[in-house]
Amino acid sequence: MIASALVALPLVAAALCAAPLLSRWSRTIAAVASLAVAVVAFATVVVPLATDARISWAAVLGASYIVDVDGVSAIFITLGGVVFAVGAAASAHVPHRRAYFALWCLLVAAVDGVFVARDLGLFFVFWEAMLVPLAILMWQWGGADRRGATIRFLLYTMAGSALLLVGVVSVAVARGTLDIDALAARPVPASAQLLPALLFLAAFAVKLPLFPFHAWLPRAYVAAPIPVALALSGIVAKTAVYAIIRIGLGLFPEGVAQAAPALVALAAVGTLYGALLATRQDDLRRLIAFSSLSHLNLIGLAVFAATLTSLRGAVVASVSHGLVVAALFLLAAMLARRTSSFALSRAGGLASSAPVLTAFSTLAVIAAIGVPGTSGFAGEFLSLAGTYERYPAAAITATLVVIVAAVYGLGLVRRAFHGPPLATGPDLGWRERALVAPLLALVLVVGAAPWIVTDHVGQEIVPASLGAR
Amino acid sequence: MTVYDLGAIAPLLVLAGGACVVLLADLVFRADERVWAGLGAAFAVAAAVTALVLGPGDDGFGSEIRRDGASVFFAIVIGASTAAALLLAIGYVAPARLPAAEVTALTLFSASGGLLLASAGDLLVAFIGLELLSIPLYALTGLLHGARHADESSLKYFLLGAAASAVFAYGIALIYASTDSIAIGSLASATSPIGLAGIAFLLAGLAFKAALVPFHFWAPDAYVSAPTPATAFMAVVAKVGAFAALLRIGGAVTAPGVAGLDWRASLAVLAAITLVLANLAALGQSSLKRLLAYSSIAHAGYICVAVAAGVVASGAIAFYLVVYAALTVGAFGVITLLSNDDPTLDDLHGLARRRPLVVIALGVLLLGLAGLPPTAGFLAKVYVFEAAIGARLAWLVILAVLMSVVSAAYYLRVLFACLAEGEGEPARGPSIGGGVVVLAALAIIVVGIVPGPLLDAVQSVRF
Repeated sequence: MIASALVALPLVAAALCAAPLLSRWSRTIAAVASLAVAVVAFATVVVPLATDARISWAAVLGASYIVDVDGVSAIFITLGGVVFAVGAAASAHVPHRRAYFALWCLLVAAVDGVFVARDLGLFFVFWEAMLVPLAILMWQWGGADRRGATIRFLLYTMAGSALLLVGVVSVAVARGTLDIDALAARPVPASAQLLPALLFLAAFAVKLPLFPFHAWLPRAYVAAPIPVALALSGIVAKTAVYAIIRIGLGLFPEGVAQAAPALVALAAVGTLYGALLATRQDDLRRLIAFSSLSHLNLIGLAVFAATLTSLRGAVVASVSHGLVVAALFLLAAMLARRTSSFALSRAGGLASSAPVLTAFSTLAVIAAIGVPGTSGFAGEFLSLAGTYERYPAAAITATLVVIVAAVYGLGLVRRAFHGPPLATGPDLGWRERALVAPLLALVLVVGAAPWIVTDHVGQEIVPASLGAR
Repeated sequence: MTVYDLGAIAPLLVLAGGACVVLLADLVFRADERVWAGLGAAFAVAAAVTALVLGPGDDGFGSEIRRDGASVFFAIVIGASTAAALLLAIGYVAPARLPAAEVTALTLFSASGGLLLASAGDLLVAFIGLELLSIPLYALTGLLHGARHADESSLKYFLLGAAASAVFAYGIALIYASTDSIAIGSLASATSPIGLAGIAFLLAGLAFKAALVPFHFWAPDAYVSAPTPATAFMAVVAKVGAFAALLRIGGAVTAPGVAGLDWRASLAVLAAITLVLANLAALGQSSLKRLLAYSSIAHAGYICVAVAAGVVASGAIAFYLVVYAALTVGAFGVITLLSNDDPTLDDLHGLARRRPLVVIALGVLLLGLAGLPPTAGFLAKVYVFEAAIGARLAWLVILAVLMSVVSAAYYLRVLFACLAEGEGEPARGPSIGGGVVVLAALAIIVVGIVPGPLLDAVQSVRF
């Protein structure tokens, strides 16, 4: 019941946003609906409630409407609600606001759907449904390079989804059902798991994006409007993390395990590669893009390693990265408003005129590079420690990222805020503070008490066949 | 003639009789296009209702005309799409200065041919159906004076169509020489080289009507120069008729226990060629009508994927044909709402601002054509792919899904063109055609979300 409500709520909000009479309130509606989703989702892990629903949908095709929320889904939906609420609130002065916020709410509904779907057919529906609002938001409201960036993003993700569809269809034919829990209860023989696992992982690897399937990422992050880039990185990328855990490891544990050595190597390389490229960027959005690539590959590494510690680390790191990247994109936009450019070389010495902006940015960067006390540290530490249990070489390689991240992170702070005052600007207004402060507060809370997240990631997340080894 | 015979051809009589009524009434009464097209649509709906009420039963004329679940189902689809195409014509024929009664009568005659082809029990009846379907279409294609190359494409369509009919007829002759029978059910015994050649000719003739590559050369030209409501009709009814006949023949040839050649392999190859060439050709089009023409060829390819899976896939094919009919009528319907009959993508600029409802409907239809959820187009593709995977055609399915990614690129180009700023062609005011488009889009969404009833209905499609 509640799982359906998590999808229905943003759908209703989308209809309200599109209503001509409410056009003044559409931003508020979108933000409040997203926040409500976060609150409801978090409530399901605190209070035991009936969350599941099961309706016959397309029985001939093997697909049904099955939804449920468990701890892992609830954490991701809560994160999504927060990120979407902040993104909606940050979308001030957009043209065609009714269409913009209606599409925004449709995106929220589709993302929630991905996290609650317990049927592969339904999952695919929501997975693809994310694309259309995202593509229109990028195409219509994006920056200079929006056309090319949107097309490239679409072609990459749809090529991935095409293979996902082949996977779903072959499961439907071979097993006669697409119910994820039923399929997980009776997995296919280990020897027949590699091919379907690869079909499913192809889509997830592109969406994450796992190195080397990331060619769409920098262009999309730069071309998309800031709130959309924030949603893309903050939560849409996390649907891939969730999907690898729920579907990849849940249905084809042996298949993923067979592919894991290669996947882990790619992820470790991607972690370092993203961080190294981030040190070379002048455009703030590109820097955040490559730093995200690095973090997301680290999360991927932890998921593929598939130990309890590494999976808990991956979930904490997902939450952390979602919050931090949202804060970073918002702060980058605020900085750009003061210097009229996203170029770091046009900023400098802002610390004297904008101390709060400097303090917030410094905290966000510290969390991004994983300094103890922040959520970034908890996520990275658990991920790397968990990975080390199974793939020590990859874990050691990826650990080098801590050094590189410090180079680009502290370099960012130094170039933008310290040194000779090349740029000056007013400090953050109360609206801007109110947008960023909750994100940073959550970063510190999760950093101090990561068990808020890890307690809801139980032993059942680790495939039984892998846990024994 | 017995009562069973009448039952088998009742929907057919309604369509052909309606055409005669319209033609004769036109001599006596003066009325505008709303009356003629509306009357024609009423006859088409009546044919569909007749088929639905009578339901399946005994075959007529000694099994020459079948009255099984499939012919009832296709009668309903043909009746409904014909009615929709005629309603699209209401706001269209007067500005284009077309003779409304003639357009209506030709459309109804052609629909009755499609129906006859879909319910043929022997090859000669199929041939008559094929001709009855085609000849009015040749005339409809050339009706639009002043359209670029209307005469040329009509002639091209006629000459190629006549050649295809000749090939089909030659196929019948060879089959008869080989088996001493023209019943479709006896095709299985045509195992001699002459009989096999005959079957190949039959398939080629139907592949021409279904516009499968490499028998498609007439289609883009004919689709572009025909009046748009006729294009919508042609793209739907000709395909439905051809695929129904293809399934009947394919079912007879590949029935269990038949030791002939397996024709499914050649159909799989046809499907693969069609998917690749049509989708790639559609990518480069700037004319919306031509783009939709190639898209409709591509969809014939997807249906052919299921035909290659054999008769077990008849449910998937029927489902796909219904969804395709709604999508195609709707998408061509959008063109009838524009004042330019052959709009380029640039002419669509600014449409989202001027006609937001039409663009939302078009968006849904394009998503459906691209096979994206939550539309019925997605379920139709999944159904077809499941049938093909079940028939061990995984290579074809992988090719087909990759080609649907390509197709998404050109469908989204259309959508993005509508969203772009600029002054394109002015759109006509609200009309019945607009209602048909919105209804089609609504149906696509509703069936996508609640597919149960239609999925159950297509289970009754048996041959």
